[in-house]
Amino acid sequence: MIRTFLFFTLLLIIPSMAMIAQENSISGTITTSGEPLFGASIVLKNTHLGTQSNLNGTYSIKKIPKGNYIVVVSYLGYQSISKTISINKNRVNYKIDFTLQEDAKKLNEVIVKAKSKKTTLETKGFAVSAINTKETSLRSIQTNELLNTTVGVKIRQNGGLGSNVQYSLNGLSGRSVSIFIDGIPISVYGSSFSLNSIPPSMIKNIEVYKGVVPGHLSSDAVGGAINIILQKGSQNNLNASVSYGSFNTFQANLNGAYRLDSSGFTVKASAFYNYSDNDYKISGRTIVDIAPNGVETPIVARRFNDAYRSNGAMAQIGFTNVKWAEQFLIGITASDEYNEVQHGTFVTKLPYKARFLESDALLGNLKYQKKNLFIKGLDINSNAVYGKRNRIINDTVAQAYSWTGKRLVGFDGEYIDYIWGSQNENGPTLAKIERKVSSIRSGLSYALSNNHKILFNHVYSGVDREDSDELISLLENTFLQTSDLYKHIYSLSYELKAFEEKFKLNAFGKYYLQTVKNTQPVFNNDNTQVIDEVYESKVDYTGFGFATSYILTPTITLLTSAEKAIRLPSENEVFGDAGDNLLANLTIKPETSNNLNIGFRLGEFDIKKNGFTIAANFFARNIENRIGLPANADGLRESDEFVQYTNLKNTAESKGVEAEFYYTYNNNLGFNFNATHMSLTTVNSGVESNVPNVPLTTMNAGLRYTVKDFIQSESILNLFYNAYYTDEFSFKFAAGTNTTGEDEFLIPKQISHDFGVSYTFPKRNFVFSFDVKNIFDQDVYDNLSVQKPGRAFYLKMNYIINNF
Amino acid sequence: MKRPLLTLKSFSLIILVASFMASCSSDDNTPNPEKEKEEETESRWITIAGAKMGDNPGDGNGGTLIYSVSSEDAKDPTVQIEPFNNGFVAPSNRTARLQASEDGNTIFNISYAGDTGGNYTKYLANGANNFEQTGSEISIAPYVGTAPRWIKLFDGDNTGAAVYVSTEHQVDDNGTPDNVTDDTYLYTNSSIGIVTLDLVDSKINNFQEHVITLNEENAAAGYYISRIDMPTLNKAGDKLYIGARVSKIDPTTLESDSNYEILGSKTIVLDYPSLLNPTIITSAVGHGNTNGYRSINSFEYDGSVYQANQSDPEGSHILKIGADNEYDDIYDFNLDNALGVTGAYVLAWRPATNGKAVLAYRHDGSVEGISGRGESYFALVDLNAKTATLINDIPYDVDFELFQYQSYAVNGTEIFLTQAPVGKNGNIYIIDTETGIVTKGAELVNATGSHFIGAW
Repeated sequence: MIRTFLFFTLLLIIPSMAMIAQENSISGTITTSGEPLFGASIVLKNTHLGTQSNLNGTYSIKKIPKGNYIVVVSYLGYQSISKTISINKNRVNYKIDFTLQEDAKKLNEVIVKAKSKKTTLETKGFAVSAINTKETSLRSIQTNELLNTTVGVKIRQNGGLGSNVQYSLNGLSGRSVSIFIDGIPISVYGSSFSLNSIPPSMIKNIEVYKGVVPGHLSSDAVGGAINIILQKGSQNNLNASVSYGSFNTFQANLNGAYRLDSSGFTVKASAFYNYSDNDYKISGRTIVDIAPNGVETPIVARRFNDAYRSNGAMAQIGFTNVKWAEQFLIGITASDEYNEVQHGTFVTKLPYKARFLESDALLGNLKYQKKNLFIKGLDINSNAVYGKRNRIINDTVAQAYSWTGKRLVGFDGEYIDYIWGSQNENGPTLAKIERKVSSIRSGLSYALSNNHKILFNHVYSGVDREDSDELISLLENTFLQTSDLYKHIYSLSYELKAFEEKFKLNAFGKYYLQTVKNTQPVFNNDNTQVIDEVYESKVDYTGFGFATSYILTPTITLLTSAEKAIRLPSENEVFGDAGDNLLANLTIKPETSNNLNIGFRLGEFDIKKNGFTIAANFFARNIENRIGLPANADGLRESDEFVQYTNLKNTAESKGVEAEFYYTYNNNLGFNFNATHMSLTTVNSGVESNVPNVPLTTMNAGLRYTVKDFIQSESILNLFYNAYYTDEFSFKFAAGTNTTGEDEFLIPKQISHDFGVSYTFPKRNFVFSFDVKNIFDQDVYDNLSVQKPGRAFYLKMNYIINNF
Repeated sequence: MKRPLLTLKSFSLIILVASFMASCSSDDNTPNPEKEKEEETESRWITIAGAKMGDNPGDGNGGTLIYSVSSEDAKDPTVQIEPFNNGFVAPSNRTARLQASEDGNTIFNISYAGDTGGNYTKYLANGANNFEQTGSEISIAPYVGTAPRWIKLFDGDNTGAAVYVSTEHQVDDNGTPDNVTDDTYLYTNSSIGIVTLDLVDSKINNFQEHVITLNEENAAAGYYISRIDMPTLNKAGDKLYIGARVSKIDPTTLESDSNYEILGSKTIVLDYPSLLNPTIITSAVGHGNTNGYRSINSFEYDGSVYQANQSDPEGSHILKIGADNEYDDIYDFNLDNALGVTGAYVLAWRPATNGKAVLAYRHDGSVEGISGRGESYFALVDLNAKTATLINDIPYDVDFELFQYQSYAVNGTEIFLTQAPVGKNGNIYIIDTETGIVTKGAELVNATGSHFIGAW
């Protein structure tokens, strides 16, 4: 950690010695009745120059050539002001402050509304939810918790901080959903750099695409994609936060950006540290104390082998907003993670002790973005990542423990050591997986005119994987087969705007090409050398889709999108795995899914100080060629015979509706409610049945209330309340209609409540927040019967400096 | 744990209810059908089990359902039994391995894999889908893991035994840990664990572990014991036999081998009840595995233990282990010869008290059905005469297969079995082993892709 910080400090010092400004700028503060106004727009009339005021109400516009300008300041619900200035000197910063007055006559006027980025995205036609992180970044909220409140998104987490997370979009999860950071698949960064470890404050916004994914985010995911967009950081700022709470959870985060106006030289850096003991209490039918003779007593236990630590840093250096590039940045990302494992997929009566995972990653990246390259309308955008990541599974302790956290005593009064020599029944391991990963994403777009645009995108990702285990002989390690995976996805999109931009269309085609390289080491003829036999499999496939929106009236937008999405078979589905008795199937076909969304958006309606928006989406998914193991797989494996993955005959179908409602009053009160109800069925025993282990009805509600000038003038107090509802679901197919014993597999209905308060000090540099999660200490589960934390308290402090 | 927070709960409900009342489904609890008990002196419960389809027909991964009828009802062809719709779901993530008490009143279950894997539970059969849990639940997982292979020992329903094995390859690196070309394979160790369990009082009786290796020649060639199962008590009650499967690796690369010479069938013999002094005995008659699959593979009759073997290149045998705890190599009972088929493969068998048995098998000529496995048949076997005859009074079907078949219910010299092709209806059949007379019993109502796995 110390080394990393030194490195950052250096990075921050170097650029301050650089060149001197050549152009002029204006800056100042926007206030209303003595308070800073956040989000007001400041534009120089008849130019492309403009900005928005930040949390402190300050703004600055740079690189202004000499000349006369009209500065226009506006904000919804306020009277606009304009002021003429003439700039005739070099390298001067003009300081101009504005005070806006609330507009009482607002209702009588025709309002031309500028859409927020969120609204713009949500009315493009895709079934997309854009999540703004501005408010939540000040609270003790994990990025995953933020996603979980989004309509149609369900996070399935196996416990506390750092535990395995699955993202479910409209019921499809696992490999069906792709996660990206700035368009690069998150899997490239490894588990140490997951959404667990990215604090919301580093995130600008999150786009959730359900079922239909635009061409520029191409991936072979049938369920959809989540794209995390990190702060661009072309403004000078420094943001630090620390939080501490229940289960000895400590999180710290530092991020900053510095841009030298004169040259565009930019440095961005961030670092995070997360730690938690995750020693929360759990109970249930498998949480028992076991007496030597085997008699079991139910107990409430504290998890004792579940600590999690992750830390990492990112740094980027380069130029932004210069003549030859909007962004040119070279960077490095390093992260490392330690994760204790308390139990396997299921919570059994035998908790793990001293089984843990370690992973680390070191990656370099290069980013280039330029608008109007060579000719007007031609934009290029490219992002490349290359690096190494490692993962070690450590499980070498044979001693058995019970949920009391103490060693388990056997029938003969002696401590039990597991016969398999480890916590997991698969035997002791120090398995190491080394991967070399690369991903390049490039996009080229050309605007034929204002209304027609063509985009070409290409995503390449490659993984070279090497496995070894210190606990097995070199001879065995040598002959482990390895599989490397290379994926190319090309997409061509066409964007159309018609009828005065009321109609928007985005049609796209995608071409997927996957190469799997399988290396099987063998001895040469006289056993003196090990040579590699390499087999290759190539699969390609074409998919297509579209998204369209029509603005009926300024407050009614209709949206439709559809895609024939595909999932390419994974390496072991193609090449099998000798260790797991899996045979290769070189002719296996990809899974395909026909996805359809039809929705509408009503709003925003403004009635006096009330504003509300209603949106709903109907969705359907139909998955064919599902990849799975054939019927006799278990039996064959049982007798040591080989099995192979095949395309299953029965399809899976998902249909449902999701709806959300937003209400605001006078910018003080915000309420949102969303609900998803769906069916996810497949043919089981010839009968259409619900796919098990998927909650079908979920609801979320959130309330925010803002009090200004609380205790101190110029301060802001925010109160938050959230409630989450998950309907009862079974983690196994129901056998029949009149059967008994099914309750064994039911996960009961769950409701949990969170409360939070944040206080922003008058100078706007400090924000304190306090959060209570799961206020009523309910038993909550996401997966099977894996219980999540009960009531927890968190304190967080944020420190923000802008424009230093 | 639960706190009385009614007011807060209702408050939160008000917030959440909103417009989505209509979409919330309400599951009505259907009352259990009460079945009248018709207790008669000679009557006993016959419990039928079905394995529900998971992803594919015949995979049985959708869970195990059980349903009890009286032996009179079981014999009545007008009675319909529909466990897939009306049964009791045995608490196991995969197919449960069930055992019944000799009188049929109690069902013993140790669930296989999942969160309950290794849990021993006992149910009283009260008829239909009413199974009442009795006694305390205990777990044998600390000793033999969450996917244990267990059966009851035939000692008056007092004891159950479960086994576990793990293997480790031993390599001599010739003092050069970084050079693979001079490494030599030595042998493979099999660590075996055996636990015995008091079925009556639900407690652990004994547990022992041993490391066993095959003889030097076989071990150096890459042969090792990869799986063990089917603990069987001898007549004297002083030795426990455990069936074994022998696998082989290629000693140059340590990868799984195939097309190798199959060794003589092997059984591990241990002192009982101490579970000490393991030895390995080898048959000169049969080759291949003796660990069976889901059903009990070896039984004590008339002072000896009779054991079926599988994957025998000459077709399955019934092997005999004599009172001296050694294979009786004079006893040569080859099912290919007895049945007049090639590649006979014993799926499940069970002798009655008279030395006559019902045996389910398939052979090389069996045609593959919907589940991807060969058609199965029943034969009537005489252990003394070493004869086996196909039972022709039972209807067969290409989709009728018994790979996962677990159990026959034995009532004196009568044997109850289930017959139904995958996804199709069938019947209970009762074989009078003395006369060979086959009686068609109650109808078994099937569900798509599902199959019946036995009677207890």
